Amino acid sequence: MTIRSLFFGKPGGRGSRSLAQSIALYGALIVFALWILLPVWYLVVSSLITPQQLGSRSFSFFPSSITFDNYLSVLTGSTGGAGFGSTDVGARLLPAIGQSFFVSAVLVVLNLLVAGSAAYALSRYPFPGSRQFELAVIATRVVPAIAIIGPFFVAFRVIGVLNSPWALIISYNVFTLPLAIMILKNYFDQMPREIEEAAKIDGAGRLLTLWIIILPIAKPGLVAAGVLIFLEAWSEFFYSLVLTNQLTVPPLLAGFQSVQQFNWNALAAATVMSMLPPVLLVMIFQRNVVGSLTAGVGK
Amino acid sequence: MTTSYSNGSLVRDDAWFGFKMSSVAAFMMAALLVIPSALTVIYSLHNVPANGSSFGEFVGFRNYEIIFTSSVFWRSVWVTLVFSVGFVVLSTVIGFAMALLLNQNFFGRGVARALLIIPWATPWLVIGILWKWYADGSVGGLNALLVGLGLTSEYKNFLADPNTALFIAIIAAVWRQASFAGILLLAGLQTLPSELYEAAELDGANWLQRLQNVTIPWLRPVLITVTVLNIIYAFLQFDVIFAMTQGGPGDATQVLSVLIYRQLFVVTQIGLGSALAVVLGVAALIGGLVTVKLLYRGESAT
Repeated sequence: MTIRSLFFGKPGGRGSRSLAQSIALYGALIVFALWILLPVWYLVVSSLITPQQLGSRSFSFFPSSITFDNYLSVLTGSTGGAGFGSTDVGARLLPAIGQSFFVSAVLVVLNLLVAGSAAYALSRYPFPGSRQFELAVIATRVVPAIAIIGPFFVAFRVIGVLNSPWALIISYNVFTLPLAIMILKNYFDQMPREIEEAAKIDGAGRLLTLWIIILPIAKPGLVAAGVLIFLEAWSEFFYSLVLTNQLTVPPLLAGFQSVQQFNWNALAAATVMSMLPPVLLVMIFQRNVVGSLTAGVGK
Repeated sequence: MTTSYSNGSLVRDDAWFGFKMSSVAAFMMAALLVIPSALTVIYSLHNVPANGSSFGEFVGFRNYEIIFTSSVFWRSVWVTLVFSVGFVVLSTVIGFAMALLLNQNFFGRGVARALLIIPWATPWLVIGILWKWYADGSVGGLNALLVGLGLTSEYKNFLADPNTALFIAIIAAVWRQASFAGILLLAGLQTLPSELYEAAELDGANWLQRLQNVTIPWLRPVLITVTVLNIIYAFLQFDVIFAMTQGGPGDATQVLSVLIYRQLFVVTQIGLGSALAVVLGVAALIGGLVTVKLLYRGESAT
């Protein structure tokens, strides 16, 4: 009974909860927190201890001493201590973070412009074939990246952008552009049309209306779409693996793993650093993003 | 100002404006999706040289014949199916449970909801690395935990054992996707009017009836979306398995996407790899369409 009322009690019923129900609720919350936090905690602890501490059995979830040498090692390429060894991921992590930021930022700007105008048109000025275009946009969600990577590889080699950020900026559009169109179209659909009609009566043209009336009101939607584009671009692994030589963070981390006798503590530090930007970004814009997410996944 | 135009030409004008505004996006999608997809189909009908410099010799459906008679392919299909079913069911169910839990009123709810974001915002590849080492046999935290709880007595290398590797890969992927499902379902639950719930309670509906008759019908559209997305993510999953096992040990975790990657970029059988890619693409497309149709058919009643 308590477990049941835990999940299906009245949503607002804090005051009316019995002791047993409270225990069940907080018990379930502890299980929930452990499910999410234990792997992350293990990673963070690993990044703060020495290889000797990591290798000892049993692994201690609360280490007796911590060190920041692993972070120093991946940021500078070396530490003073011989125990850590040198790692070439150190020399390449910061440039990779820079490239990841660059690629993601260019895509955010480009997609907001291109997807923004398309989404606005689909929402306000339907044209013959616009419905088909919209369906095509939704359908692209199921195209596997792997099914089109071969031609990309060949084409990029021919035009000479293989192993450059441009290879990623071009290819990531395959998934970021449809995502942005879907989110923004839905956002525009929910905005009242009266404002535009009022502007039209006042004599403003379509583009002027879009620029001075719509854009300022649509800002929360644009921010949400921007954050989600950034998240997708930052996290992308497959295109970057195939089209570049460990240019961005994810393939660099993957490559680091396959090096013989690598330093797992340093990889843990690098991994923590690669998680921080997307997690923080989403937490800051939580309100915007979650609302748009339901739209972006296609209703 | 609109009076100077006839109504018909204004409508045409609007449509023309809409077309122009969409054209850049439409052009980019055609160039980035239609042309490469067509090229992949063409590759799949040829014996492409390893360096991909030309189409090579036209072989018709030979590549498809090789695939459909190969035990490696069918083994991979089986692994993909097992992975997908486990992934979809667990992600959806755990996500639903988390959403119901976090929809309750309790102290620290904001923090708990922020926790939900961590797995979702973490890159798939990083999740693979994270869980690979969490489940590792020599330094693993999972082993320390299991031994600490008294569930096992010695450290076990889960990813080196064909019997447990796929299971751990599923759990790792579910760890991420359950949070994603949880976020969407929680957002849906928050729009459920509490009056609806209280009315059902007054009518004497027990928790199971309220779940069946109030909560699930209300969440149906979100549940459909979440399930369809989970199926797509399952079929196309690459990062987590690549990071954790690269398809091994043996072929225990070699889902189709990993098999295709190997064909294209490790053994560079571009024709065969492209044919496999076409098969996966068509399967994903059909799977997606059928699921949408099945799920929406039930919904049309409401």
